[in-house]
Amino acid sequence: MDSVLRAAALYAALMVLFKIAGRRSLAEITTFDFVLLMIIGEATQQALLGDDFSMTNALMVIVTLIAIDVGFSLLKLRSQWVSRLIDGGPTIIVEDGRILRGRMRHARLIEADIMEAARSSQGIETLEQIKFAIIERNGKISVIAKEPS
Amino acid sequence: MTDQDEQDDHRSRQFPVREDMVFQHKVWRFERVGWYVLVLLVVLTLLGLFSRGPLSDRELYSSDGSLGVEYQAFHRNGSANTLTLRLKGQPNAVLEVELGGDWLEGFEVQALQPPPMRSAGAGQGMTLWVQADKQGEASLYLSLLGEGFGTYHSRITTPGGAMVSFKQFIFP
Repeated sequence: MDSVLRAAALYAALMVLFKIAGRRSLAEITTFDFVLLMIIGEATQQALLGDDFSMTNALMVIVTLIAIDVGFSLLKLRSQWVSRLIDGGPTIIVEDGRILRGRMRHARLIEADIMEAARSSQGIETLEQIKFAIIERNGKISVIAKEPS
Repeated sequence: MTDQDEQDDHRSRQFPVREDMVFQHKVWRFERVGWYVLVLLVVLTLLGLFSRGPLSDRELYSSDGSLGVEYQAFHRNGSANTLTLRLKGQPNAVLEVELGGDWLEGFEVQALQPPPMRSAGAGQGMTLWVQADKQGEASLYLSLLGEGFGTYHSRITTPGGAMVSFKQFIFP
């Protein structure tokens, strides 16, 4: 019984924690983020398995986690509301070469982040060349260039 | 930022993506409030809400001072903490102490130092006999492993009428 409860409780707790962390925080993986993610994994592992190292326990934890995950994705198909709650929505932060400062601040981004995404994806040099920059649901910044006139 | 900019930030665009800025602002507020909650939790943990800290360290003495106990008010399932008993009686006497209450259902006694001269069951708990030193003092150190979940009661008594009772909470 407790392997299911453990897995469900940790799934819920991690989901809330990563919602608090926001979509940007672990989307762009740097080496340090990677190490941090591994440490989070290590800390979770003990609580997930407890002191029961049997194969049944490990399998039941995995089965529960996958069942919840698939369950949510099925729920997302049926309900727009659940889908938006779990995945969020995209947000425009640059419009016709103009940064929407308030939104950028709320999303904990700086101009350098946007320009970095613009350079790496579109080879854009200046802000004026950006038509739209959008924070996607997964936290990546996608950039649409202005068409050359 | 001017009011106009502020309004512009709140306006939901329909192109190139369909936005819902009312919802998005709720998400951002949730992230901010959530961060405060995380900081609060860190501070509470440092203070000992989840055992070992000023909030959790407790010390109790019976009214005549012959029986004392140091314990943790908060435990975590799967982690061990110490409970110290301090007894006072006649020099070189054998002191009797009864550990009652339902605490043995939630804790496993991993170690008991020094080993008592004799021990016996007593209802839900147990009775221990320990040898006092020349000053008539004796200490018992118990290492308790939290195994249950919830609140457990302890009631420690001596035949002389000294009594302390306290509660301990085990977090999952």
